[in-house]
Amino acid sequence: MGFSVSGSAALIFVAAFIGFGMFYSAAANSTEMVNDARETQSDRQLERTNTEIEITTVNYNTASDYLNVTVENTGATELSVSDVDVLADNSYQTGYRTAVDGDTETDLWLPRETLAINTTTTPQPSQVKIVTGPGVAATAEVV
Amino acid sequence: MASVSVSHLILFIASMMIAASVAGVFTSSIGQLSGAISEQGFDVSSDVRTDVEVISDSGSNAIYNSTTETITLYVKNTGTERLAADPGVLDILVDGQFVTDYTVTRAEGGGAWQPGTVVRLDIQQSLDGGDHRVQLTVNGDEEVFEFRT
Repeated sequence: MGFSVSGSAALIFVAAFIGFGMFYSAAANSTEMVNDARETQSDRQLERTNTEIEITTVNYNTASDYLNVTVENTGATELSVSDVDVLADNSYQTGYRTAVDGDTETDLWLPRETLAINTTTTPQPSQVKIVTGPGVAATAEVV
Repeated sequence: MASVSVSHLILFIASMMIAASVAGVFTSSIGQLSGAISEQGFDVSSDVRTDVEVISDSGSNAIYNSTTETITLYVKNTGTERLAADPGVLDILVDGQFVTDYTVTRAEGGGAWQPGTVVRLDIQQSLDGGDHRVQLTVNGDEEVFEFRT
């Protein structure tokens, strides 16, 4: 009688041990994934808070249909030129030319630097919106 | 005396069988629970990583096209989660009404809706003049966009 009790107790104990192992690894992995995601989210939030842009000039050349926009990075975050979106009258612009302080090759748009955007659009849009990678945007009227 | 040993043997086998079946049920239940916890962790982390922003210019008159009865919105992926550029990932409400007639296309190029990229939403909905609101839900992230027609 005594041996059957200890035998079954040992079996249940081994099962509980295996079960706890499975449960612990799953719970630890989940917590780690969620914590990583939360950290990334707070980093993103900080980046967004530190981002600010200001449209300095908007010109439209009626002869060549060129829309020239200059935007200054007035925040403290380094932005990516490839993540910048340009909307002219809610029409998404593609294939536009960019230059950061005269440099057309760079993808970095650092604080206090000015990004010049040159795009061809017709007819003349009434307003333009520039959106940065973190989602911070600025709008201006086309003159 | 032999009968005592035989009955002990029978009781031993019976108790071991019961213990083994209890242990089997126990471990398989814990296995299922662990699987569910892993999936939930994955879902919550992808919800937290998801962040989208409607970047359309609400001051523009070109949001709603009254001829084609289409609302055009541009939505940027500002999070770190790669999303699918297809209608299955989005839930759209226009003035509180659930809309199913819409298309999602990448604004520039094709493929998935990577972080930093933009999709174009064309929602087929007839609107009267006045104020309107569109609510988008992507992985639990809700965005409201208000405009005037």
